[in-house]
Amino acid sequence: MRRHLAYSLALALAVLFGLSGAASADNKLKAVASFSVLGDVVKQVGGERVEVTTLVGPNGDAHVFNPTPATAKLLASADIFFVNGFGFEGWMERLEKSSGFKGEVVVASKGVTPLTMGEENGHHQDDHGDAHDEGGDEVPDPHAWQSLANGKIYVANIRDGLIAADPEGKADYEENATKYLAAIDAEEAAVKVAIAKLPPERRRIITSHDAFGYLADAYGLEVISPEGVSTESEASAQDVAMIIRQIREEQIPAVFFENVTDRRLLDQIARETGAKIGGVLYSDALSKADGPAPTYLGMFRHNIGALSAALSS
Amino acid sequence: MIDALFQPFIEFAFMRRALVGCLIISMTAPPIGVFLVLRRMSLMGDAMGHAILPGAAIGYLLAGLSLFAMSLGGFAAGLAVALAAGLVARSTVLREDASLAGFYLVSLALGVMLISARGSNVDLLHLLFGTVLALDDAALILIAAIATVSLTALAVIYRPLVLECFDPQFLRSVSPLSSTTHLLFLVLVVLNLVAGFQALGTLMAVGIMLLPAVAARFWVEDVAGMIGVAVGAAFVASFTGLLLSYQADVPTGPAVILCCGAFYFLSILVGVKGGIIWGLMPRKHLEA
Amino acid sequence: MRAAKASAPAISFHDLTLGYDRHPAVHHITGDIVRGNLLALVGPNGAGKSTLLKAIVGELRPLSGSLDLHGLTKRDVAYLPQVIEIDRSFPISVFDCVAMGLWRKIGAWRGLGRRGREEVVQALETVGLAALANRPVGSLSGGQFQRVLFARLLLQDASVILLDEPFRAIDTKTVEELVALIERWHGEGRTVLAALHDIDQVRAHFPHVLLLAREVVAWGDTKKVLTPASLAKSRQLTEAFHAHAHVCERNDEAERAIA
Repeated sequence: MRRHLAYSLALALAVLFGLSGAASADNKLKAVASFSVLGDVVKQVGGERVEVTTLVGPNGDAHVFNPTPATAKLLASADIFFVNGFGFEGWMERLEKSSGFKGEVVVASKGVTPLTMGEENGHHQDDHGDAHDEGGDEVPDPHAWQSLANGKIYVANIRDGLIAADPEGKADYEENATKYLAAIDAEEAAVKVAIAKLPPERRRIITSHDAFGYLADAYGLEVISPEGVSTESEASAQDVAMIIRQIREEQIPAVFFENVTDRRLLDQIARETGAKIGGVLYSDALSKADGPAPTYLGMFRHNIGALSAALSS
Repeated sequence: MIDALFQPFIEFAFMRRALVGCLIISMTAPPIGVFLVLRRMSLMGDAMGHAILPGAAIGYLLAGLSLFAMSLGGFAAGLAVALAAGLVARSTVLREDASLAGFYLVSLALGVMLISARGSNVDLLHLLFGTVLALDDAALILIAAIATVSLTALAVIYRPLVLECFDPQFLRSVSPLSSTTHLLFLVLVVLNLVAGFQALGTLMAVGIMLLPAVAARFWVEDVAGMIGVAVGAAFVASFTGLLLSYQADVPTGPAVILCCGAFYFLSILVGVKGGIIWGLMPRKHLEA
Repeated sequence: MRAAKASAPAISFHDLTLGYDRHPAVHHITGDIVRGNLLALVGPNGAGKSTLLKAIVGELRPLSGSLDLHGLTKRDVAYLPQVIEIDRSFPISVFDCVAMGLWRKIGAWRGLGRRGREEVVQALETVGLAALANRPVGSLSGGQFQRVLFARLLLQDASVILLDEPFRAIDTKTVEELVALIERWHGEGRTVLAALHDIDQVRAHFPHVLLLAREVVAWGDTKKVLTPASLAKSRQLTEAFHAHAHVCERNDEAERAIA
């Protein structure tokens, strides 16, 4: 009788320890984000409770990312996977299948009204040699995070996803999210002020690929690019010619490089048109931690800063 | 009509530069291609194109998108593979094609591994496919320099090279230049591929070297003539390809190579020496 | 062009063994080929005739023993290998092919010049191919191509000429004309060494014979060498490599040259 009691006690203690272990702060939620912008937002909302790993790191190009066995291994041991959606991660399905990921996939852009190729300003209307554009169908522009209003939707989706995966952290996540949303609001106000300062006819730029459609749409800029929506496509002579012509005719003042594309083509265009080279804009990826755009909001601050500097003079 | 042909080049500097770059390459690469074809080394040209990759990758890893670093790296890698293959072929039982296959495959695998280590990077992808529309001054100067060196060297070793293709044993018996000629030729192949890949990428650079040369065989029957036809065809293909990219909104590198390909098909069909169509039409034979 | 010393050697072999991968194709050859000799190299298939010629021209390194050219360089030796090694489909004209024979004078870079052109035309006329000068070599018959190669040899103006089966699969008329050319060379005092399979041809035109069957069977005047006995002996000696042969211990000291 005493032996039975001893055993049951031991068992109960073991169970208790196990349970408490599960709730201890050491066991963080393992989150994987598809690319650096998303990774930063997840970190901001997740805070201490979440351990975030990013697949496509700073200055990386998610359009042409190729997952490796290491990536699959990483995902397999994750609890929750955050992706952008809208076709940004073309490799996602493959990766999910091969890694055997059983957790939740949270699409950050759920609920965002997408812009499509045809709707955006300044992009010429004929069919592009674009990797996604088949048979003239309208393809959603995946770069939704370039509008801070959409960014807020991302935050909401991420918060909800984290709560669903880790209900115990609900209070933390809601608090973090609220704080971050306030920061986004502040940034958005600053952006609008900065753009308002620019003379209307100078609010137009050239960048490598159509990453800034949402930025243009939300804040009244015109963005033109030779490469279309994905960096995968190769510019044709006609593309380049039309852009040069447009720059000349419409006196577009500045050309911006991006941190994820080949600068040489833009260099050539800038040389030929005399447009100013305005610097680097961060589009599909953040910079490294010691760079000018290490966070989502930091990216905005840098981009708007560069735009203002180039377009105001 | 004439207007439509030349207007893009008049209006846009980038079109002019692209044309100049392609024309220079059209002068220097096809003659090398002619010799590759005559020596039955056509696929070797393709292999060398792949062998260059790890060198360019290393150059890129060390110094970013630096023209100098990548060209030097590519040249070093191509040369190493060519020399190693040649050396092995001359001093062991292995023949040149097998020894080259061995070395270039290792080189290619190394290149892929190096690129993967850095993560997929679109800059390097552009390297593979070239950016003829973005040739800057430095690139044009490099291409022109390589062309000058290559054409001069080719003129100097022309006779030994012809002999080396036609009757290598005779060359060995009358001159000690045989090994040197062979190695120098391989160096020229690598140099021209390095020049070509600036504009057309590693994949297409081989195309402008080989396609016009292969087609030339259907029009003339002597080496000098083949070189002339190949260069001329490459000129026309460069011009037409650029124009096509402009008028029809298609990527430039592939457009140029497809124009070369069109000439190739044309040659197979109606080439004066051995075109299929002449075989189908009965013609009276000559007296003697 | 008579040699100053009629019995001075042009090529000497000292216990020469040649082969591939330690298996000898030719065993312990010792002897001299005298300057101005017109020597036929005769023997059954696999006797080592081509191997010996390749060694003389430097294409093959001896396994043991040595070969002495007495100061002659590569440029003084003209070699006509068996035709298979040439790429007949190469787009080169008869004229250009023959012109290569003037390499000694023009090297890799100098132009032919008027003299050179005339010499080439002369050589083509000697072999009866002047009319075909601009044809690509690929369009010639076997006999015609052989004549082209002989014309090239003519222009090489070498003191030693090596011919490996020059008349294989060639029509009789061409053979006659080319034999006449060989005899002309002999008359000019050049040393000519020809590997041949047609015994009757040898008897008719060649004063000296080296009968080879991987080793020297007989060497000397044609009449003395080409006896039924020695011919039979040469046929007996094995043609194939022994896969598991022992290391050769033989030390050959007897001089067999009867030049």
